[in-house]
This record gives sequence, structure tokens and C-alpha cells, in this order.
Amino acid sequence: MSRRLRPATIALPVGAALWAWAAYALWNATHLPSLDLPQLDAHRYFSDSFLERSADYELFLGFLGLIGSIALVTVLVLYAWHGPRLVRESAAGRVGTGMLLAMLGFAVVWLAELPFDLLGLWWQRRHDVSHEGYLRHLLFGFLGLGGTFVFLCLGIGIMMGLAGVMRRWWWLAAVPAFVALGLLSAFLSPYLIPGTEPLHKPALEQEARTLERIEGTGESRLRVQEVHEFTDAPNAETVGLGPTTTIVLWDTLLDGDFSPAEVRFVVAHEIGHVAHDDVLKRVGWLALFLLPALGLTAYLTRRRGGLAQPEAIPVAILVLAVTQLLAAPLLNTAFRREEAAADWAALEATREPTAAKASFRRLATKSLSDPDPPFWIDGLYGNHPTTMERIAMAEAWEAPAR
Amino acid sequence: MVRFALNDDLQRRRPTVFFRALIALPCLIWVGIWGIGAALVAVINWVATLIRGKSPATLHEFLAKYVRYTTHVYAYLYLAADPFPGFSDDRAYPVDVEIEPPARQNRWTVAFRLVLAVPALLIVGVLGGSGSLLDALNESSESPRFFGALVVVGVFGWFYAMARGRMPRGLRDLAAYALSYGARAWAYLLLLTDRYPSSDPLTAIGPLPTRSDPVRLEVADDLRRSRLTVFFRLALAFPHLVWLALWGLLALLVAIVNWFATLAMGTSPGWAHRFLSRYLRYQQHVSAFLYLVGNPFPGFVGASGTYPIEIHIAERRRQNRWTVLFRAILALPALILTALFGQLLAVVAFLGWFAGLFTARMPLGLRNAGAYAIRYSTQANAYFLLLTDSYPYSGPCHEGPPGLPVPAPDPRPVPASLDV
Repeated sequence: MSRRLRPATIALPVGAALWAWAAYALWNATHLPSLDLPQLDAHRYFSDSFLERSADYELFLGFLGLIGSIALVTVLVLYAWHGPRLVRESAAGRVGTGMLLAMLGFAVVWLAELPFDLLGLWWQRRHDVSHEGYLRHLLFGFLGLGGTFVFLCLGIGIMMGLAGVMRRWWWLAAVPAFVALGLLSAFLSPYLIPGTEPLHKPALEQEARTLERIEGTGESRLRVQEVHEFTDAPNAETVGLGPTTTIVLWDTLLDGDFSPAEVRFVVAHEIGHVAHDDVLKRVGWLALFLLPALGLTAYLTRRRGGLAQPEAIPVAILVLAVTQLLAAPLLNTAFRREEAAADWAALEATREPTAAKASFRRLATKSLSDPDPPFWIDGLYGNHPTTMERIAMAEAWEAPAR
Repeated sequence: MVRFALNDDLQRRRPTVFFRALIALPCLIWVGIWGIGAALVAVINWVATLIRGKSPATLHEFLAKYVRYTTHVYAYLYLAADPFPGFSDDRAYPVDVEIEPPARQNRWTVAFRLVLAVPALLIVGVLGGSGSLLDALNESSESPRFFGALVVVGVFGWFYAMARGRMPRGLRDLAAYALSYGARAWAYLLLLTDRYPSSDPLTAIGPLPTRSDPVRLEVADDLRRSRLTVFFRLALAFPHLVWLALWGLLALLVAIVNWFATLAMGTSPGWAHRFLSRYLRYQQHVSAFLYLVGNPFPGFVGASGTYPIEIHIAERRRQNRWTVLFRAILALPALILTALFGQLLAVVAFLGWFAGLFTARMPLGLRNAGAYAIRYSTQANAYFLLLTDSYPYSGPCHEGPPGLPVPAPDPRPVPASLDV
């Protein structure tokens, strides 16, 4: 006797296939030449003492992150179990109470991660990577929690509001809502970065404009962020969308340690991100992550009455945190590919592999970053290719040019 | 034990009011000189009490007289009382304190009295003020720049008394509350008692009027506090503060429209009254939560009957157009007092945070002081936003049921004596 197929039974494989196709398409949207990267010996580029020191440094932070993640999951499991009791601390309605439970969940996580966070800061200070004081770190962390809560309440408001109307299928509407929020957040992000000012280096700005023409992008805003009070580590990032696209250079990159050619390469790398629409791609990856994560959340919160009920919020936080931890290595793989593509674009634009290699070495030495970290650290936390992989790419670019 | 007695008839003689600060000057100089002696005696008293477990009677009496006389002088200066206090504490005074003879005290609390008194002194700072008027006006001054309740009461009371020949009961009672708390705090610090001063305005000055203002506060809080939400209270209130700011922008527009409409029609439009009432209720819920006067996390819509610290706003009624026209100017003194009560709320929250974290309870005195501040602030805002034409009552009072007539100011003496 043939059984009738339920719509969900058909929808699930079709949805999974569509999801896989979208992920494949997004992966392939980043073009990277197939390179046979040479296996380089890190000792040729870095001193023995640096390699030993950076390996120690990263290994400690890697283990700390791992223990922190275990603590996070443990705390969230306990919170999923006991959290619903906190409903009595609310005089708000259904959604307001859900917001309170979500905020308290994050607050508890913040508390649980605090020892690891402080230990990490101590380690960074010990290695002169960070100069931030403990009290300031604590205070800003605590106040930063308030900012996090604002966005958290917005997210919970959307999810619970939709769950109240759409019941089991709220997550299908929540994904586009969060993607829209992600786009808005990406659009506004340049205005949310503290302590930035316009780049007052006409020569570098001129070079950036030239590189933008070469890489085929429009003009981005160039800004400098003051971070030298807290760290010596150099960095740069591309934020914003369309008219708000901004390249932010940390002032530690412009303090004279990096040569003009090295800074030029870093700027070219960031312009590469602009040329490849990487900010948009990140939103795409967010959408791809959210779809199964929210679907799973909807499924696993049913026993607590569905996400429309505040008692389900602690479980929802646990599910989202665990899926995020599990998805991180996969997402990092995609991000590493985007970074590698930006490196390649910068090499093509500047045609200065020597400067590229020098900038990679300096970025590593100033951040005390292990040039060739263990596989598990790279897989879990590495959202850029390793320094040795980046140097190898520069060598590979150089090889045919010879 | 310290007893506070209030026996003032609210009548003020205009000539002495006009020259009050100058007339009080010799007394203030005398307080200063006496204060030097009191400081020395306090140190000796501390050592003696630490050794004997009880203050020597002579030293106790000297310091008690100093606290009593200081209360008289400040009551006179800030118009909480009318008769000239003279230069000794011999005579009974309308605003008076009575300090009992020395009793045995716990040596540990004696040893650490200065530290233990810090929270009380913080409240004294807000109620009594620290830094003079000149300091406050001088931008280069290093002194703290806030007036205490006493200074503000003195200034506002001066104008009122000059115009009407009497002191409004609300302001007088606020000053009495500040003086009462100050006397108890100093008595505690100077080892005249080991009873920690209570900041409860409902028990500070004796019998209080029972009022039923158009804007009244109902407190149904059980003093229990959740340690977790107390610890993260500021961060948890962030989303509310953002929402309140957004709502406030709209409320500002509605308030402007309401002002024109009330001016034209003599009464607020129903929709504006409801909207602004809800906004004010929400603001009050958030204040109560943020400053630890209430425990539960409030909702985001200001719904009535949802919070244990709840403001009730009467239905709209006809208002005098002249007072509507000049409402912003008329509300100015009340809004200045609101800023002062804001300082009190901040101190309440600061001290309540530690108390709530360690004991999972809010001390009754602090909670009531916070509720008092919230009640006044909400009344002032309601007056400013034309939700009522009743001027906010600045004194501590009991809240009566709705419909009870607001008592007229009582010109008769109000004898009161209360153990604390």
C-alpha cells in the first residue's frame, strides 16, 4: 500500500538541494586561480626564536579558545535547563520576557567567558601584543554588553514576533528579515567603528585611487582608526556597502614600520575585497548559515511550545550557539578563499611580490602570529590563509613572471 | 537613638526671610568654630569608644549638642524653620533632634565607622549638597558641582516665602527630610548612635499628609531582587533606554501639538493625553527598573497595571489657559528639583546595586527614597507635558486612593516626633 507523501518530505530534499546549489554558486563566485603552492620552510623567512615564540603564543590562545567554547556550551546547556525560571523576573509581555531571557543568557555567557577573556588579555599583554588595561577591558566589555543587548532584543523581537504569527514556519520569514538587517548593518557599519578619521596622506590616497582603477572599482572612503593605545598589531578592513564602502587602516599600519610599498600592498588587498564584493558575499554566507540554523532552532524549540514562548529562548540560544560553533570551520574555509583571492588581486594590481612578502612577514611579526599554525588552530579560528600560504602565493605569482 | 521633631507652622516673616543668609552668617561662623572642636572631640571619642565600648558621657553630650545646633542653624538658613536659632542648643526649636544618652556599641562597627558611614554620607551629599553656590557657579572650581536638596529648597522657598509669607509644605518637608537624614548620618558617624540612618522618607519626619494627586505612585514591590538582573541591570536597561529615546522623539512632537491644542481648547485632546500618559508610565517603569526601585524587567509599551512601581495618571480635565501658556516657565523649578531627585536616584541605584547583589533584597529606606524621587519626577514631567495642572508635591507623603481631595496646605503647627 503506497503512503501519501507529505509536502515537508518533498520540500526537505528540494530545499537541501537548493541550499547546496546556492552554497556552490557562492563558493565559485570567488575566483582563485588553481595554483600549485610551493611548500616553503618557515625558517627561511622567520628567525627560530620568533617561530618558537609565535607558536607558543598561538597555541595558548588556541587552547584558551577551545576551553572557552566548551565553557560556553556547558553554560548554555545549564541555562537552557534552568533559564526558564527567570521568567518570573519579568513584568513584560511574551516578547519582552523573551528578550530578557536572551539578554540574561548572553550575560551569563559573558560571565562564564570572562576568566578566559582576561587570561587571553594577560597573555597578549605578556607578549606585548596588547596594551589594554584590565579595568578598561572589563568596563568596556560590560558596557559593550549593553550595545549587544540592543541588537539582541531586535533579533529576538523579530523572531518571536514572526513565531507569534507564523507558528512553526517563522524561520522561513526570519531569514530574509535577518538578511535585510545584515545588509543594513553592513551598510551602516563604517559609522559604527569608533575612533576613525580621514586618511591625511595624499600620496597614499593617490596610490589607492590608482589601484582602484587597476582593480576596476569605484572610489572608496579611506579612514584611519586609532588603536595604538591598545595594541601594536597592524590591520586593515573593508566595511560598508555601495556608497558607504570604506577601507579602514589601523594607525599601527602607518606608524612607519611598514614601507610605502608594503602599505600599498595592504591597501590593494582591501580594494580586492571591494572588487570582489566580499561584504555582500559575507551576507550571502550569513543567509546560508541562518537557513538551517533557524530551521533547526524552530524544530528543537517545539518541546518548549515553539519560539513564540519565552521559555523556548534559552534552548534557541543554545542551538544557535552550537550551530555557529560547528559552522565556523566551514565558514572560515570560505573566508580564507576570499582572502586568498584578495591577495591575488593585490599581487596583480601592485605587481610587487617582494613588497607583498615583506608585508606578510611584518604583519605576522607585529601580531606575533604563527606563520604555520597547527591544522586544528587554522581550521577552527583561521579566517585568513596562513602567513606561509600567503608568502607561497606571492612566490607562485612571481614564478611565471620570471 | 536619634529622634527628629518637627513643630513648624509654615509661617515665615518676610524681613527675616529677605535677609536670611546674612542673619544666619554669625551662626554659620559659630558652627564652623564649633565644628573644629567637634572634629577633635570626635577623634578622642572614637578612641575612647573603641576602648570602652561606649562613648564617655561628656564627649557624647558635646557632640550631640553640636549635631543638634547644626540642624537648627541649617533649618533656619534653608527656611525649614523661622525663629532665629541663637548660639546654643538650649531652647527647643521647631526643627529639632533629640539624641539619647550613650549606649554600648559594637567595637567592630566603631572601628570601621568611617568606612561604614560612606554610603550614608553619599546620601547626605545629595540631600544636603556638597560644594557651595559659589563653587557651583565657578567653572574653574574643583568642588563637586551639585546643589543638595537644602540649597534648592532654600532658594525656591525664599521666593515663595517672600511672596506669600509662608513656606509651602512640600518644600519644607523636603528640607526636613534632608535635615533629619543629615542629623542621623552625622550622629552615626560621630558615634552618638550605632543605629544606621534610614533613608526612608516615609518615616523620617513624622506624620505625613495622605494625598491623592492626579499623578500618584503605587508601590507594590516586595523588596526581593534577583542577583543576576541586579548585576547586569545597566546593560539590561540599554534596549529600554534606546526605545525610550526613540519614543521620546515622538512624544516631543505630540507634546508640542498638545500644547497648542490645550491652549486653544482648554483641555488636552484625548489621544494626546493617552499617548503622553503611556509614554510617561513607560519612562517611570524604566526608571524604576534601572535604578533598582523595582525588580522585574518592564515591558516595552508602558501598559498600566503591569509593574509593581506604578504611576497612575488621572483623566484629562480642563486647565487654566494662562498656566498652559506659561507652563514651560512655571515648570522650571519643578524640573530643577527633578534633576536633584535624579541625583538621589543615582545614589539609590549605586548603593542598592551592592545591597541587592549581596542580600538579594533592596533596603526599604533606599527603595522608598527611590520611589519618592520617581514620584516627584513623574509628577513634574506630567505637569510639564500638560497631563495635569496640579503642581508636583515635593515633600514625602502617603498616597491615598484616587478621588481623595488633595489636602490644602495646613498652616497649623504639625507636631511630630518619631523614633528611628
